[in-house]
Amino acid sequence: MTDELELLKKDWQNKEDHLPKLSYDEIYKMIWKKSSSIVKWIFYISLIEFVFWAGINIIFSDPESMQELKAMHIYNVMMVLNFINYAVILYFIYKFYKNYKKISFTDSSKKLMKTILDVKKTVTQYVWFNLIIFTVTLIISIYGVFIYGPEGKKIIESATQEGSETMFWFMIILISILFTAILLVLIWLFYKLLYGILLKRLKQNYNELKKLEV
Amino acid sequence: MNKELEHRFVTELENNQNIVHKVCTLYTNDRDSHNDLFQEITIQLWKAYPKFRGEAKFSTWMYRVALNTAITLYRKSKRRVQTQDYDSVIFKIKTDEYDDTEEKQLKLMYKAVRQLGDIDKALVFLYLEDKDYAEISETLGITEVNARVKMNRVKNKLRTILNP
Repeated sequence: MTDELELLKKDWQNKEDHLPKLSYDEIYKMIWKKSSSIVKWIFYISLIEFVFWAGINIIFSDPESMQELKAMHIYNVMMVLNFINYAVILYFIYKFYKNYKKISFTDSSKKLMKTILDVKKTVTQYVWFNLIIFTVTLIISIYGVFIYGPEGKKIIESATQEGSETMFWFMIILISILFTAILLVLIWLFYKLLYGILLKRLKQNYNELKKLEV
Repeated sequence: MNKELEHRFVTELENNQNIVHKVCTLYTNDRDSHNDLFQEITIQLWKAYPKFRGEAKFSTWMYRVALNTAITLYRKSKRRVQTQDYDSVIFKIKTDEYDDTEEKQLKLMYKAVRQLGDIDKALVFLYLEDKDYAEISETLGITEVNARVKMNRVKNKLRTILNP
């Protein structure tokens, strides 16, 4: 075995001339690539997320639910909201893509640090937008169900019969707020998990760059 | 300061890039993975560079970081590489039984080495690089005695692979 290994060693060392040779510039570019792959993932995840939610939306857009929305008199406002939602999300995806492109061609640590901060800002805005649009949708739905929905009418009627209408509305608002808050926290956690890990890595990278800067 | 550090690092890596290429050759099977691994090692080296204070030789330090990166990445995709190669080696040995020209023998050896586990591969790599046991032990962070014992085991493993 030792002979064979010696033979291998000789051959191995002769192979040196056939190894690839990278130029200074090629290597130089490589040291900036880490952030670019994280930002690329942010872009991809936002795309997947978009397709996922759009898919769910389409599945639940059957004529029956459309009819229900119309019956609750919130069809129009929901459609407008949907339209705004998609427009803004597409804008965000475009921004994620631009960030990714920007970071891929960055060649100085200063610019890279700035782009990382931009990415963080965009993601934060994106999450906030999603939370707000969700809250608005939920409030409109609750409103629709109680004012125009068949079940809502029944509940209101029985509550009025028992007398304390103010108390009833107070309770409704309180429960709605609680319900919305819980859902919001869940969604926020979801985003925290989805983008939080990537952002944390970016942050680490940023800190490393900052250390080198001094 | 930053620019200067960058320049120093890239120059040194450019001069010593063979080490990284050789690690990539041993731990990957195709050009794309080779490039990916090279990229990953470069990033790890760059990240660790500010902490490199020249207490070891730049090349020794490079061996260590490059192997660590390769081993960590290799662990994630272990199964895929191993099983596939194993069958083809057995097949090769059978067909090439009566042909023991140097070239064929070398090919078999390379295949056998590829089949080794991550740490064993690192040992063989350093051996092929003509490192003595002192440097091997320093690079891999094990004692010299341990390095010797391990190397003997690797030789036995290679023997078993080549003569099943």
